[in-house]
This record gives sequence, structure tokens and C-alpha cells, in this order.
Amino acid sequence: MLSYLLAIAIITLIYLLLSFGLSLQYGSVGLINFGHVGFFAIGAYTSALLALSGVPLFASFCAAAIAAGLAAWPIGLISLRLRDDYFAIVTLGFSETVRIIIVSEKWLTNGVQGVPGIPRLFSSLPVGLAAQLATAGLLLAVCVGAALVMWRIIKSPFGRVIQAIRDNEDALKALGKDPARFKIQVLMLSAALAGIAGAFYAHYITFIIPEQFVPLVTFYVWMAIIIGGVGRISGAIVGTVLLMVFLEGSRFMRDFIPGVSEVEMASLRIGVIGLLLILFTLYRPQGLMGDYTKR
Amino acid sequence: MNRTRREFLAGTAGAMALPLLTGSGFAQSEGTLRIGALNPVTGAGGPYGEGMQKMILAAADAVNAAGGAAGRKIEIFAEDTQTDPQAAVLAAKKLIEVNKVQAVLGTWSSGVSLAVVPLTNDAGIMLMNTSGAPALSVPPANEKGLSYRFQATNDRFGRAFAEIAEKEGFKRPATMAFNNASGIGNTEGFKKAWEAKGGEIVSSVVYEPKQTSYSSELMQILAAQPDVIVMGSYVGDTTIILREWYQAGQPAKWIIPGWAANSDLVAALGPDVVEGIISVDSVSNEEAAAYTEYDKAYQAAMGKPGSDNVYAAMTWDMMTVLALAVEAAGTTDMAKVNEKMHDVANPDGTTVSSFAEGKEALKSGPINYEGASSVLDFDAYGDVTPDFSASVIEDGKINRHYVVKI
Repeated sequence: MLSYLLAIAIITLIYLLLSFGLSLQYGSVGLINFGHVGFFAIGAYTSALLALSGVPLFASFCAAAIAAGLAAWPIGLISLRLRDDYFAIVTLGFSETVRIIIVSEKWLTNGVQGVPGIPRLFSSLPVGLAAQLATAGLLLAVCVGAALVMWRIIKSPFGRVIQAIRDNEDALKALGKDPARFKIQVLMLSAALAGIAGAFYAHYITFIIPEQFVPLVTFYVWMAIIIGGVGRISGAIVGTVLLMVFLEGSRFMRDFIPGVSEVEMASLRIGVIGLLLILFTLYRPQGLMGDYTKR
Repeated sequence: MNRTRREFLAGTAGAMALPLLTGSGFAQSEGTLRIGALNPVTGAGGPYGEGMQKMILAAADAVNAAGGAAGRKIEIFAEDTQTDPQAAVLAAKKLIEVNKVQAVLGTWSSGVSLAVVPLTNDAGIMLMNTSGAPALSVPPANEKGLSYRFQATNDRFGRAFAEIAEKEGFKRPATMAFNNASGIGNTEGFKKAWEAKGGEIVSSVVYEPKQTSYSSELMQILAAQPDVIVMGSYVGDTTIILREWYQAGQPAKWIIPGWAANSDLVAALGPDVVEGIISVDSVSNEEAAAYTEYDKAYQAAMGKPGSDNVYAAMTWDMMTVLALAVEAAGTTDMAKVNEKMHDVANPDGTTVSSFAEGKEALKSGPINYEGASSVLDFDAYGDVTPDFSASVIEDGKINRHYVVKI
């Protein structure tokens, strides 16, 4: 039982790292990024392939963060010319491009066959609880670290500048600030977080295949931050935890609702999430943890 | 904040489940045999998952009706993989950790099976899948010999294609493959087998999913003047490719896997376009008594003929053969049961076609279960080799012409 709860916790924490990044981008700079999964994939493949060729895990995790962060740099340059929906389309295209490159470059990524046998974190510990506990602990530490960094950013002069970018970019330019640099920095930072999340994912699941990195992952993260509240650390946390607990908890609901088969439960689960999203966008667009004083 | 909230919510979910688990444990006789059904109820495997799951339940009912295996009733815990490796890993964790299942049956796509197999290996229990990827046969996936595959590998499909192409007298084959593990596995398997026969492939192309037109890929293939085009494809893309080929007007024959060249394809294109296409599929063991029983159960559960879902026949066999192995081992110690898997399924022994029959025959000697999905003989890798059928589409009907053994 504990091991199962830990598994849920680990996946939740991985998604939390993704939510932090998206929340920072949308909530502060106002970038609508539909391609977050691309950075996640880059992180996962970078770390997995390096680890399989014998690089120590610590170094491969760092490389995952750096590779994902660097991949965000050209996207950042593009973001200067595109706003809102146009940027969203480009990022969606970016994540699909990443996926297709992974599919096509067989010599490197083994294409659609996927990469099996990725070493686990803490493989020196006995298989089972100890290694899982250590993984969850490390992830928690990384999440807390990321949250602190985000909190610092939001409260710092840098944070006020990026919020100003969201609210009125022209006014900011008139004040002599350069929004471009800030946007690129925010993008690269959150991409690096996604890269670390990808590395954790690869070394936890131990098998990665391009079909795991589809846009649905990005939209799960969007769902989480829409439900939780955009641009707030607490919103990202609450939204992600709620989404994952609902997705997993619904496995147990079947035991209480008589006469619902697994087949019907699966459809019900998707239906409820869809309904929740609609209700939230209609009645609480600022999310659960959002600012209650303004709409 | 983060941690306490997560733990509280997750803990609540767990706590809600606990009374049920212990409850069901005590309600049944001293220790049921707990089996996990992990099937693709939603996602790409959705059309098959429901039938697969229901056939595991139906086969378990048949085992229980015959008094259970090694004196134990079977209890099924069902989960959905969502045809997604990550969801499947969590579902498998739940089955193994919370429900304490002794085997996991019925993972469908290769991605899911490869992601779940490290978990079942760690737990020392069996994983039975219907996936095509060759990687599942060998270490690390099958390092403990606990992984069983009830479907032909993509490689075997390719070999069947080569046999049929040779039999039909084709000389200049070309291949087109959908870019995923299964599509490429088919055409690569064909290429290997065809070149081993001394043949040559005149052209080959791999195409990306979900395009609205495949005319450039098709023109590239047709430019090589092939006499037959071998496909590793699905219904949607095959429909587009065949339509464009028909409009181009260049004569060629087609060999297409059965999951793509089916009645949906005929309905989408009309009989003129698909005339003469050779459709290749692994055949369920339709003559066998086990198939008749499976068919009856499938009709009752799904209201459709059993031939609708080859994977459901495989999951039916999974449950049956596992129960027979438990009966033969006389224990639910899975290490011992695993040793019996080959014994009860492979030749030498009384041929049996159901659990009840096998249980009876085991009293007097070894048995050989002949399944609904195939004769079900495992090789050293835990793979089966079903027979393949070559059917030709004539006047909009798919008529089976002959069966190929590889």
C-alpha cells in the first residue's frame, strides 16, 4: 500500500515541477505555452541516454536541465514576435517537432521502439520501498527548492517586472525595461524545471517511448493550474494534487459505487474532468487558490 | 503544506480502500487467488480492452465453477491502462501493492507491457501480454522468464507476409510502414525473412501517422514498379493510401495486416478499390473446442461473435492456462506455478480445451492445453507461434484462402 502511495506521490511531484513552470510562464509573463511536454521529453531522453552510456545520474540530471533550458532559448526569441494564441500554436508545433525528431533519429533514441532498461535512482538501495522513499524525498526537495526559487522570483524586482510584462508590455518598454530578456529567462528557467521533471520520469518509469510525450501531458498540466489557480505556487500545488488524486482515487471509487464496471468508470473519469474544467472556466476562472477579490 | 495535503488526500483514498480489501479477503474462502486484469479499456486499445477484460472475468468464472485452481477460488481485480505507459505503471502498482495480485494479465500495447514488466519482475509475478515488440522476449524485460506473450511478435507477422508473398509468386515487393513499433516491426520482419529467401525489396518507406494525404510516399513506392506492396499499417492510413493508389491507376497487389484490411476498410472504400487485396491475420484456433467455449462466453458478454476480437481470445487463454498451471503445481506459490506454465500448455500430454477438462486430466498425467487463440505452445522465450491466414477480398467479401504455418 505504502509503495503505491509513494508511486502516486512521485508522479504527482513530477507533474508539480511541470505545473510550476507553466504557472510561472502564464501567470507572470502571460505566455501561453502549449508545448511544455517538449521540454519534458528533452529532459527525459537526455538523462536516459546519458545514464545508459555510463554518465553518473547526478551529471545526467544536470544535463537534462541544461538541454531543456537551452532548447527554450530559440522559442524565447520567437516569443518576442508572437503574442498569445500565435505563440501557443508555435509551442504546440515545437513539442510535436521534438516528438517527431525523437521518432525519426533512430540511431540515437531507438525511435518508436523506445528506450528500455533506464537505470533507477538509488539503485544501490534494495528494490522496493527504500529506493522509492529516497526518490520521493529527493523529488520533494527539488520541488521545495523550485517553489522557493519561484517565490523569490515573484517577490523580487525581477518578478514585478515580469508581472508588468503581462499587464502592459508597452508601458514597461516606455520605462526603459527590456521585456524580451525577461521573457527568455522565464522560459528557459521553466523549461529547465520541465527537463528535471523529465529526468525523474525517465529514471522512475525506466522505459520511455515517444508516445509518452504527447500534447495530452501539457494539457493535464494546464488542467491542474486552471483548477488550482494560475500564477500562484499554491495554485499549482493544489491543482496538481487534486488532479492526480482524482485520477488515481477514482480507481477506488468503483469499490463504493456498485454496478459500475472498469469500462464505465474509465469513461466517467474523463467525463468528470471535462465537466470540472468547464465549470471552473465558467464560474471560477481564477482557480481555487486564485485571488478572490477580483474576477 | 504541500506534503501534508498530499498525504492527507492520498491517505484518505487509501483508507477508503482498506476495509474493502480486508472485507473481500475474509468474505471468500481462506485466501482466494488474486489476479490482476490490466487492459486498455480507454485510449488506442479501447476497441479491444473491454472484451479482453470481460473474457478474463468469464474464464475466471469458468475456473471457479469447476471448483477453483489448487482448491482456491479466483478473484479478479480489473484496471484500465488507458493505453498509456504512465497510467499503466500506476495501475500495476495498485494491483501489486494494494490488491496483492499474483499475476497480471492482458497488457496490450508494447509500450505499456515494457513499462509494466519491470514491476512484475520485481514482485516475482507473471505478466501476460498481447504485445508485438521483440524486446519483450529477451532480457531485461524477460530476464526472469516471467513474461508470456499470447500474440505473434511483429517479426512473426513479417515472416508470414514473406511466406505468402513467395507462395503468390511475387518478385518485386515494396514496403510501407506506419511509424510506430508495430508498423515498422511488420515490414522489418518481412524484409528480414524475404532477404533470407534471396529476394530483394525494391523500395520501402516509413510514413508519419495522421496525415491527410500520403501521395508523396505512395508515388515514391510506385516509381519502383513493385508487383506487390507489403504494409505495416492501420485502417485509417490504409484507407487514404488505397484511395490515392486507386486514383493513380497503377496496377499493384497489396498484402495488408488483418487489423487494417478488415470490413471497415471495405465499407470505407467500396468493393472495387479493395478487390484482390490479401489480408493476413493470426488465426484464432477456430476449429478447437476451446474456441467454441470462448465464442459462447464472448457472445454472452459482448453480444458479438468472438471473431470480433482476437485479443479477447488471448486473454481467455491467459486465465485458463494460468489456472491450469496453478492446478498442476498444486500451490499458489508463483515461482512453482511458473515452472508449470510450459508443462500444461505444450505438447506431450492429454489434449484438453478447458479448465474443467484439464483439472480432471491432470489427475492421471500431463496435459496439453489447446487454446482459443492458438494451439498455445510457448517457446523458450514465453512466446507463442499462431498460424496465419491469407484472405483475399473478393466482391467486397473477405474470403480466407489458406493458412500459413511459420
